Amino acid sequence: MVCNSGTSLVPVVGGKLHHFNYVGLYDGLAVMQDQETKTLWGHITGEALYGPLVGRRLTQTSNLLQMNVRQALTVDPNMQIAISDREYFAAGTHFGSAPGFGGGRGAERWAPNNPNAQLSPVFVETLGKEDTRRPRMDMGLGVWTGATRRYYPMELLRKRGDAFIDQIDSRNVLIYVEPETATPAAIFVTAKVATLDGLEVRLDNGTVVRMGVVLDRRGRQLPIERPQQIFTRWYGFALTFPQCEIAGS
Amino acid sequence: MVLRLRGHQYSDAFSALLKTAALFVLLSTPAASQSNASKAVDLADGPAKPGFDITRFRNAGNGTFQTFYVTKTEPLRGALKERRVAEDTRVLVTETAAGYLALIMDQMAFHHMAEGRAGNQDWLATF
Repeated sequence: MVCNSGTSLVPVVGGKLHHFNYVGLYDGLAVMQDQETKTLWGHITGEALYGPLVGRRLTQTSNLLQMNVRQALTVDPNMQIAISDREYFAAGTHFGSAPGFGGGRGAERWAPNNPNAQLSPVFVETLGKEDTRRPRMDMGLGVWTGATRRYYPMELLRKRGDAFIDQIDSRNVLIYVEPETATPAAIFVTAKVATLDGLEVRLDNGTVVRMGVVLDRRGRQLPIERPQQIFTRWYGFALTFPQCEIAGS
Repeated sequence: MVLRLRGHQYSDAFSALLKTAALFVLLSTPAASQSNASKAVDLADGPAKPGFDITRFRNAGNGTFQTFYVTKTEPLRGALKERRVAEDTRVLVTETAAGYLALIMDQMAFHHMAEGRAGNQDWLATF
């Protein structure tokens, strides 16, 4: 989507599998509908918006992380991939037998690192009262937990050297821009100081974050715990989480 | 009971979307352009979550974007070896009960939703 947000959910309600389709827009964000009850759902929070299942929420299982194939294989050399019949490009070669979006380059067009992305009128007319503390199409990392909803503008990350330690719910969290993909990310850590050094982030507890994985002093990969997060446009995060905090302000 | 909204709520919103965001899709993919008219959405007659204003909902693109129902996965390393993805191909990575699963970002820009089952648990990725 234009807001570039994605999440991982469990499509089960009341113990029963539901099948979801994209059906439209609300607040400039994708709205999905389950085929079983026709309920509309928000795709970031997994919350029912309109229909008989209002009051229910799909369980969030993990983040939908943006990375490239090189980084993905570093995270897990045994990672699986699912490829549909829709068109896409890889190394300049066209793949896929069925039409995609944007000629198979749809995500690139709307990627948060595209500063020229505009919100088309059809998106705008679905917006609620906008939070004007940041520009509508501002790019940043949105992070949320049970108690915290916080937006980290990319501008702030750049000013802080692309890596710094913050606190969320009394826990230290590394906020950084992954050098491999220029994608911001948040990882819970125990360190107090973070420094970007080339393609890795060095932490003062001796661990290193490289290609999206945390390594100990011996180079062994450590488990990662992440808060829920999305690389998103300001309008999408602010309308989903009204009165959210803005880091650095 | 099913409510079908009409009038401006179902204006040809997706056509406007394409004009402003991806006109070249119309030019390059005739098959897609044949199905661009947004379909009406069958809506239940509520209730609404507090604060949700159904009059701001638009059916832009309904019927065009199709969920990717995943029935087959393969090793990412193998797809790279066969050059069906490149090292710099952007992917979305979710964690299923059977482990990490990558989805090609440009394909997900079309599907918006991917759904499947792994490790005896159902999963849904949205983008």
